[in-house]
Amino acid sequence: MKHLDRRQFLRDLGISAGALPFLTGLPSLTGAPAPQKRQRLVIMFSPNGTLPNEFWPDQEGAEFSFKSILKPLEPFKKQMLILHGIANKVTGDGDSHMRGMSCLLTCDELLKGNIMGGGGNPAGWASNISIDQEIKNFLQSRKETKTRFGSLEFGVAVPERADPWTRMSYAGGNQPIAPIDDPHQILKKVYGKMKDKESLVSILDDVREDLKRVSSKLSARDKALLDQHMTLVRGLEQDLAEADKQGKLLHPVPAVDPSIELVNDNTPQISRIQIDLLVNSLSNDMARVATLQYMRSVGMAQMRWLGVEEGHHSLSHDPDDKKDSYEKLMKINTWFAGEFAYMAKRLAETPEPAGEGSMLDNTLLVWTNELGKGNTHTLDNIPYVMVGGGFGFKMGRSLKFDKAAHNRLWMSVAHAMGHDLKTFGKKELCEGGALNLAA
Amino acid sequence: MAAKSPKTPFPWPALWMLMTCAFAAPAQHPGAAIYQKLCAECHGDRGQGVEDEYDEALVGEKTIEALARQIDRTMPEDAPQKSTPKDSKLIAEYIYDAFYSPMAQARLNPAKKELARLTIDQFRNSVMDVIGRFRMGPGFDRPVNAEQGLKATYRGVELPKPGEKAVDTTPKKGIKAKRPNKTIEKVEPVISFHWGPDSPDKAVLEAEQFQNRFEGSVVANETGVYEFAVKSENGFRLWINDTNEGDALIDGWVSAGPQVREEKKSLYLVGGRAYRLQLEHFKFKEKSASIELWWKTPHGVKELIPAHALRTERTRELMIVSTEFPADDSSGGYPRGTTISKAWDQAVTDAAIATAEHVVENLDELAQTKAAAPDRGEKLRKFANTFVEAVFCRPLSEDMKQLFIESHFKAAKTPETAVKRIVMLTLKSPQFLYPNLREDEATDDFDAASRLALTLWDSIPDKKLAQTAAAGKLKTREQIQAEARRMLADSRTKAKLHGFFHQWLDLERAEGTNKDPKIFPDFTPELLADLRESLLQFIDEVVWSEKSDYRELLQADYLLLNERLGKFYGHPVTGEEFQRVGFDPKQRAGVVTHPYLLASLAYTKQSSPVHRGVFLTRNIVGMSLKPPMKAVVFEDSHFNPQLTMREKITEMTRSGGCMACHSMINPLGFSLENFDAVGRWRTKDNNKPVNPVGELTTAEGKTVRLTGPRDIVNYVANNPSGHRAFIRHLFHHLIKQEPSAYGIATLENLQRDFAANNCNIQKLILDIAIVATELK
Repeated sequence: MKHLDRRQFLRDLGISAGALPFLTGLPSLTGAPAPQKRQRLVIMFSPNGTLPNEFWPDQEGAEFSFKSILKPLEPFKKQMLILHGIANKVTGDGDSHMRGMSCLLTCDELLKGNIMGGGGNPAGWASNISIDQEIKNFLQSRKETKTRFGSLEFGVAVPERADPWTRMSYAGGNQPIAPIDDPHQILKKVYGKMKDKESLVSILDDVREDLKRVSSKLSARDKALLDQHMTLVRGLEQDLAEADKQGKLLHPVPAVDPSIELVNDNTPQISRIQIDLLVNSLSNDMARVATLQYMRSVGMAQMRWLGVEEGHHSLSHDPDDKKDSYEKLMKINTWFAGEFAYMAKRLAETPEPAGEGSMLDNTLLVWTNELGKGNTHTLDNIPYVMVGGGFGFKMGRSLKFDKAAHNRLWMSVAHAMGHDLKTFGKKELCEGGALNLAA
Repeated sequence: MAAKSPKTPFPWPALWMLMTCAFAAPAQHPGAAIYQKLCAECHGDRGQGVEDEYDEALVGEKTIEALARQIDRTMPEDAPQKSTPKDSKLIAEYIYDAFYSPMAQARLNPAKKELARLTIDQFRNSVMDVIGRFRMGPGFDRPVNAEQGLKATYRGVELPKPGEKAVDTTPKKGIKAKRPNKTIEKVEPVISFHWGPDSPDKAVLEAEQFQNRFEGSVVANETGVYEFAVKSENGFRLWINDTNEGDALIDGWVSAGPQVREEKKSLYLVGGRAYRLQLEHFKFKEKSASIELWWKTPHGVKELIPAHALRTERTRELMIVSTEFPADDSSGGYPRGTTISKAWDQAVTDAAIATAEHVVENLDELAQTKAAAPDRGEKLRKFANTFVEAVFCRPLSEDMKQLFIESHFKAAKTPETAVKRIVMLTLKSPQFLYPNLREDEATDDFDAASRLALTLWDSIPDKKLAQTAAAGKLKTREQIQAEARRMLADSRTKAKLHGFFHQWLDLERAEGTNKDPKIFPDFTPELLADLRESLLQFIDEVVWSEKSDYRELLQADYLLLNERLGKFYGHPVTGEEFQRVGFDPKQRAGVVTHPYLLASLAYTKQSSPVHRGVFLTRNIVGMSLKPPMKAVVFEDSHFNPQLTMREKITEMTRSGGCMACHSMINPLGFSLENFDAVGRWRTKDNNKPVNPVGELTTAEGKTVRLTGPRDIVNYVANNPSGHRAFIRHLFHHLIKQEPSAYGIATLENLQRDFAANNCNIQKLILDIAIVATELK
């Protein structure tokens, strides 16, 4: 395996120029002026269930101790909520993985369709909008919370296929949103114009030289056309210089190694690049909502960087007493916890641009999964771990619920962001209303 | 030079000004003295005109005979009797050679080749072909196989043979679905299948679940936006051009209930190319199965993609520059690159960025290397070198290598960034954008290659042509001819010729044709699209036949009709495909009477003899007309409702001023009065018999009696003036310069050879290519 050092990829190019309408006239790269208080939501997904005994703290309340999988999150103990007892109670067509994934954020039954799983009836896409998009639409509808993108959907090692196992975000029923798992595509989407500008600036001198050289050999009549061309090039240069003055990004764009391949073995590097890009785009206020999807439900990532050769999903089917597999699943889930912790750390290190404290103080990170446990395919006790602040939740606790429908949890998150949903997803499952996480 | 004297305005250049063409006369002439005495006062000593007298220059295309007659009849204005027929003839001979004739004008004001940038078509084609150099395959190193349709693969679970037991192919673990164990392959002309509850082959495959794949390529004849649509109640995915797994144009893999879904997406395609196509379809336990593949071409209507647009061979991905450019300057009658603007510069910049991104995204494939390959750096450098050479159509000097390649690999932090900058810089370089920059320098084989490719393809030389140039084998006329002949057969030449016919026959106007639905309810957009296809197929058949006879374009007594057209035009045929239908030679004569043109040159309810007459005068008969001094709009309500269209136009253009030009326009237009507003044959107009008879005074001053379209085309097909009009249009379209910029006699020489070659269009194209290419 090729050794790749993350530092190789991430270099601060120090591009100073920011929000500029230099080619197609975007009104502004970052959108609205900064409001007083920013709330941000990031939902991270990892697949195939967890190992409950290595995940859930035994204790309830503020005094809890970490089991091995969650150990990487220890530094954030005071800013954490661990939510045991949340269930995905959506029934209907599709196997548990499909419903686990495509109902995870949509909380309603799947549509009828042609996709056959490991059991149940074939099914189609989700029938409802997902909570991240619901909240994004809410924030985008208000001037003070509107941002350029509203939401960004990141992926890491998501296979190139679209089915209910690979999509959790939905713009509406039957409208899946594909996560972007190529850092270059993210760069292009979020900072494309700026990168173009940088390339353009670097060649304009040569373009001028070239024009001058060629033009010197021409007759007066032909020269006139090239003189006009030269004027256009100078005009472009001035436009670029003007744009430079107009705005600077608060946080420079990280450079991404152009040669990094999107292959399984590069996943750890890609993961960190994506997290850096995610944090960077939040810090530049491109969006207030983001999702970060690792692989897919039933994902078969081979985590050789952890010394695991077998595919993740196959391992997750093995019985608990198969020690080797159990160990490997522990490594895998701990690795995900580490990536989640890295994201929290990056946010904690970044000062809040429009206020006091760090960005983490105003961001809620939620880590979840489509299953409770891999070898039982249960949709009960699905992992939910929150890190962050600014949502009015009383953090620093381990909570235990009794099969509370996950519809109610997402309602709590929406309420905390000012969006007073009466129900979300399947109405019957919203009974009891939003979960109280404030006290 | 100008003596003042009160004069009434000169009467004959009234509504239209006629000019015709003929041969040169001797240089020195006794007519000079007579001209200076009788004519110079108003026309200037060199025919340049005199302000407040007759200020139009005496320039035109009439023959000496026609000029002499005109002078004798009308000059001098206040006393025509002053000039005897003999004087008039002498004057005509003198002015013809001194300044009046096109030859004299070419001598006095020699046309020069204008510096021009690449046109939009040339830019798009060049970029596509530069990237294509690194992929090759069908469409590049050889033509795409002509087999029509798509290769179909049907995969499913085999039904048990009689007496045998069914095999359950469901795997023990994982997804509970049977595994396919049987494959059927065949070629399908059109994708439109409705299997209902059955499988594609109900004797062989189980109906419950199956997956199909249709592969090949799709031919885009025209440049523009194509809409693709798939209809099915099952799962489907469609890829066009880019067949990377994750880049499906349409992804409808997950179904949603039993109803048929239609999903569509649009894509910008460059004309004259075949684009890879892949369609996947799968059924799983739904009650029924069907699949249809549709498109809408830029000037077409939504239809199932017809077999003639599908090929079974798969092509490689093409780089499509879809950036929107400001339109090229067409003020000279044909698009050319003689003006630039900020919008153009921005479009070039955007296109250069898009191309650079495409290159960097596909760099390892294009440079034939891998991420970790030890010689990757070397390969990338080599790629950059080949790229720049391909764009500039020549090997790089040491200076150029430094400026375009080495300096970037030195300065950029990564080789990818270097390549990106090189691509952008090269595509923004004047050496690429202005291909005739070197026109005045000593030229070499590489210039010849570049000109040949631009003339025939609107693109850069392909690998073979570049190799021929590198071998120094583009020097003699025979060598150039050999390459040109090879290139003529390429689909890029065909695409360029489509552009020519589009311009010569003014098809842009025809694209917008619409008729009053109350009078012509069956003249639908579908019918209009069929008419277009019928005309273009006819032209292709004639041009690319062995004879390639220009006269057949004008004289053919048949139309290509399909079922819909046959019904509408009263000659029933069966089938979707177009078939030759013979007509009475009096009733149909080539392009002139093709209903697509007749309908476009007409009002929504009625025919328009003036539109038809002007089109015939300018584009077919080959005389130029100046714009009318006064624009008069035809208002039907101003006329007695009992009148025929001919009677109305006659009344409208009755005044002497109008008739100067309308004496030409009207008889030509009236000769098509047997065709109504949609190009159907009629014998009555407004319940009165149609009168198509008229007399045409030709460039040579002769009179031709017209009784219908056949008389026009018979006159034009063998007439030098008609030939010259066709040749000039074609020359403009191919080279985008004036013929006289290549020598005063260029047009005459081309016409002479054209006539000698039985009006062979392909030979004419070759001759024009030689003019453009030959080293001077």
